[in-house]
Amino acid sequence: MPRETNIVKILGQKNYEKIRNTKCLLVGAGGIGSELLKDLILMDFGEIHIVDLDTIDLSNLNRQFLFRQRDIKKPKSTTAVNAVKHFSNSKIVPYQGNIMDSTQFPLHWFEQFDIIFNALDNLAARRYVNKISQFILTPLLESGTAGFDGYIQPIIPGKTECFDCTKKETPKTFPVCTIRSTPSQPIHCIVWAKNFLFSQLFAAENTGDNMDDPNKDWGTTDPEEIKRIKQETNELQELQNIITAKQKERIPAILKKLFIQDIEKLLLLGNLWKTRDKPVPINALDIVKSPEDEKLDLNNIWPIQQQIQNFINVTEKLIDRMPKENNFIEFDKDDEDTLEFVAAASNIRSQIFNIPMKSVFDIKQIAGNIIPAIATTNALVAGLSSITSLRILNLLKYAPLKDAKDLNMAFTAKSSNMSQNRYLSNPKLAPPNCKCPVCAAVVRGVLHVSKKSLETFTLQKFVECLQSQYEYEEDISLLDMTGQRLLVDFDFDDLLQKTLSELKLHDGSVILLSDDSDRDDGMLKKPAEFYIVVSGSLNEEKMELPKLNIPLLPAPPSTTDTEETSENVDTVATTEGGQEDVITILDDTDTTSSKKRHFSDDDEGPPTKAVKQAIDDDIIELN
Amino acid sequence: MLDSGANTGGNLLSADEIALYDRQIRLWGLAAQANMRSAKVLLAGCGAIGTEITKNIVLSGIGHLCICDGHVVTEEDLGSQFFLARDSVGLKRIAAVRERVVELNPRVALSFEDIFVDTMDEEFLAKFDLVIGTELGEQQISHLNKLTRKLNIPLYVAGSNGLFGYIFVDLIQFDGTNEKLQSAKPTVTGSVSANREIIKVEVHTDDDDDKKTFETIMTRNKYRPFDEMLLNATLKGQLKRRQLKRVSNVLPLTLTQLQNSKLLHENAEKFTENVRTMCDQLGIDQGTLSQEYISQFINQAGLEFAPVAAVIGGVLAQDVVNILGKRQLPLNNFIIFDGITLDMPIFEL
Ligand SMILES: [Zn+2]
Repeated sequence: MPRETNIVKILGQKNYEKIRNTKCLLVGAGGIGSELLKDLILMDFGEIHIVDLDTIDLSNLNRQFLFRQRDIKKPKSTTAVNAVKHFSNSKIVPYQGNIMDSTQFPLHWFEQFDIIFNALDNLAARRYVNKISQFILTPLLESGTAGFDGYIQPIIPGKTECFDCTKKETPKTFPVCTIRSTPSQPIHCIVWAKNFLFSQLFAAENTGDNMDDPNKDWGTTDPEEIKRIKQETNELQELQNIITAKQKERIPAILKKLFIQDIEKLLLLGNLWKTRDKPVPINALDIVKSPEDEKLDLNNIWPIQQQIQNFINVTEKLIDRMPKENNFIEFDKDDEDTLEFVAAASNIRSQIFNIPMKSVFDIKQIAGNIIPAIATTNALVAGLSSITSLRILNLLKYAPLKDAKDLNMAFTAKSSNMSQNRYLSNPKLAPPNCKCPVCAAVVRGVLHVSKKSLETFTLQKFVECLQSQYEYEEDISLLDMTGQRLLVDFDFDDLLQKTLSELKLHDGSVILLSDDSDRDDGMLKKPAEFYIVVSGSLNEEKMELPKLNIPLLPAPPSTTDTEETSENVDTVATTEGGQEDVITILDDTDTTSSKKRHFSDDDEGPPTKAVKQAIDDDIIELN
Repeated sequence: MLDSGANTGGNLLSADEIALYDRQIRLWGLAAQANMRSAKVLLAGCGAIGTEITKNIVLSGIGHLCICDGHVVTEEDLGSQFFLARDSVGLKRIAAVRERVVELNPRVALSFEDIFVDTMDEEFLAKFDLVIGTELGEQQISHLNKLTRKLNIPLYVAGSNGLFGYIFVDLIQFDGTNEKLQSAKPTVTGSVSANREIIKVEVHTDDDDDKKTFETIMTRNKYRPFDEMLLNATLKGQLKRRQLKRVSNVLPLTLTQLQNSKLLHENAEKFTENVRTMCDQLGIDQGTLSQEYISQFINQAGLEFAPVAAVIGGVLAQDVVNILGKRQLPLNNFIIFDGITLDMPIFEL
C-alpha cells in the first residue's frame, strides 16, 4: 500500500488532497523548527517554506537532529532542507534571512501561506510574526520551549487570543544600588562585571548609562551613596585609559582600585552596613601575576588567588586585542576572553561580599542568558503543533471546527511541576483580550503609497489625508511602530514639514494612528494601525488609504502613570546577536506562568498608552 | 536494575562532550550526563515511535543502544519513519535505518539485531539496564514484562492508533528525587497516592538567595506488572465522581485493545461490548462513551502517524533520560494521549 495510506485513513481522501495543496510557512529551523519540518513533511503538506537567519553551532547538535558536526557554520535553513530530502514528498523552499526584514519578506509575501508555524527563539520576532498574522488574518501556531517546559498556542486572528494578549516575561532588572553597592547574590556580581565593568573598560561608548538623568532610579535616596556611585564611574575613565594605553604593567592598579580602594570607600558609608555583612577588600599581597597561563577546569570553582591571576592574564589578552578591534570589544558568551574576564571579576567581587563564587560554566549561562534545551521537549512541542494544524485547517472530518475557541492550547504540566496527574494541560482558547494593543484594541489596514509620494508628501499632508478619510475632527497622534518613535501629537508638531521619506518611513513600516482629541463627551476613536506598502512608479503621485470603519468608543478611564524606572535600571537583558534567545533569566515557572496570567485581568490602561508603553518596553529589551 | 543513588562511576566527560551536550548539561548537570553515558538500553521495535525514541535518546548521549526489529520495510513505513528513504522498501528495517542512526551521534555505541520480541530470552535481556518496547501486541508485552520483572529491569512500552497513543511504565520499584521550592505548606512524608509514597524530605536554603528554601523530596514509586494492571485497573477510590466523568474515552478503549487486540480488527461489536465492561471495571460511567470516539478508534487501530509518534516518543524518551539521569519523578504508570483535544492524563492503574 502506498506511503500515504495511514494519513489518508486519518484525514479522508478529500482532506488529504487539501493538505497536498496547502502551503505553510515555518519560521525557524532550530530546535523546534527541525522537528516541525520533519513532522510537516511526514504529514504530506504540499509546500513548506522555511526561514532561518542562523548558522549551525556545536551546541545545537544535542537536539537539532538534522545537523551534523560537518555542518557547523553552515546556514540552518538550507542545511535542514538538504537533510530531509531522502524522506520528503513536499516542495520545500529555504530562505536564509531575518523574518523581520520587510525587504526580503514583504507583507504580500506572507499572504501566500495558509498557515504559519512559529519556531522562534526570541520575543521580538514572535511579536512581529504575530502582528503580521493579525494584518493578513492568517492562522498562526505559536510554540516555545525552555528545558523541560514547553507550550503551543494556536492563534486565529480576530477569534482567539493573540501572542500579545497576555503580558510576556520581561528581563529581570536590578536597582543600581544593588549592583553597584550592596550585591547579595552571584547574579548581582555578574551583572556588575558584565554590564558595568566590562563595557566601561572595553566598550566604553556603549554603556548607555546616563548618570545625569534627573529621573534615574538609583534604588536608593541616600545622597552620599549616589554621589559615590557617580564618582566611581568617573574614576573608571582612568582605568579605561590604562587599557587603551596598553599599560599591562598597571593591571594590578586596576585590581587595587576595584577590589580594595572602592570597597574601602564603600565601607565608609556606615548606613549601608547596619543590616548587612561588611564587605572585605582583597589582600594586596594576593595581587600577583602567575608565572604561566595554565588551563583551568571551567566546571570548577577556583580559589581567590587563582581568580586574581586569571583576571590579570585575561586582561592582558584583551589589551592585546584592543587595537586590532578598534578599541571596542563586546561581551560575547562564546568569546572565551570576555567570558573569563567577567567570570574572574564577578567571582572576586563575590568573595569580597561573602557571596558564593561560581564556575565559568555557570557564569556563562547567566551572563550569556543561555536557556537549556533538549531534544525531547522540542519533539513533543513540534508534534503538538503539527497535530493542531489539522484542526485549524479543518482537516479532521470527525472533529470539525465549529468555533475557533474549541481549539486547545497545551503546555507541559508535569515537567513544569504543576501537576502529577497530567502530562499536558490543554485549556481551550480564550477570545481576544479587549485591551490587547496588538489585536482587539486596534483597527488594521494596509496603506499603499507610491514611491513618488513617499518623496513628496509632507507629514502635514499625510495627517490631513488621514483626518479627512477617517473623519477626525480634532487632534490625532501618529507613532512609527517600526522606528519606535512619535511622529506627531497634540503638543509635538516639529516634524510636520518633513516628507515621509525624510521621516524614514518605508515599505514595511507600521504606523499607529490614535485619536488625541479632548472631547467633552469623553469619546475617542479606536486606534488604527497601518502597514505601509510602497508601490508604483517614481513619477506618479498616489496614496491609497484602506476603507476602515474606525468606531468611536468611550475613552477608558485614565490610569496612574506607570512609566517609571525601567529605563534606568541595570538589566541583564542583552541580545546576543540573535544567536540564542532573549535574555530573560528564567524562573522555574517561566512558560507556565504566562499561562497562569492568561486568566488574570491586568489593567493595561488605555490602548494608546499601552502601545506607547510597549514601545518603551521594547527599547529596554533591546539595550 | 538501576540503583537510585547518584553514580557517576568516576567516568569524567571530556571537554568535547561537555561542549556538545552544553544545553542539556545545564538542565540536568554533569553527573546525570555521565550516568547516561554508562547506561545500556534495549529498544524493541523501530517503527514510527521507535524512530522518534531512537533519535531522542541517541542525541541525548546515552552509552549504548541496541535496536531490535525483525520487519521488512514497506511503502507505508515511509509515511512515518524518517530514517527510511524510497530505496529502503524491501530491505530489513534494521539494515535500512542503520547508517542514519549511526550518523546522528558517533559517540553512542549502537548495535542492531534482526529479531522480534517473541524470541528474546533472559540471557539476552540481562545485558541491559532498561528496556523499551514499541508497537507490540499484548502477548509480546506480557512476555517482555515477565522477563524484565524476573531480571529486575525497568520497562517502558508505547503504542499508537492514529491520533491516539499510550505509554505503559513498569519500573518495579523506583525511588525518585525531585527538588522544589517550599510552599506555605511544607511537604511531609507518607503516602500521596495509590502507587506513590514520600519517604524522605530534606530542606535546604538556596546558595544564591537565602530567602528561598528548597525541599529535596524522595518519593518511592511502586508499579504493577502489565498483566496484573489489565486485570485490576480501576480508578475507583482514586478519582472523584466529577473527575471520573471527564476521563477520556481513549483510556477504556486502549485498555480493551491491550486485552485483546484481535477483536478490535475482527469483531467491532464484541470489542465495543468489552469497552463497556472495561468502563465498569474502571468505575467510569458507560454513558460517557461516545460512539464517535469508538468508531474513530476502531478505524485508526494500528495506524502510525508521525506527529503522534513525536509526542509519544518525546514523552517516553524524556522519562528514560529522567530516570537514567535521576532528574524529576518518573511516570507512574499509564499515560494516554488524545490527538484531537491534546489531552494527556497520567493514571495510576
Ligand atoms: Zn491580542
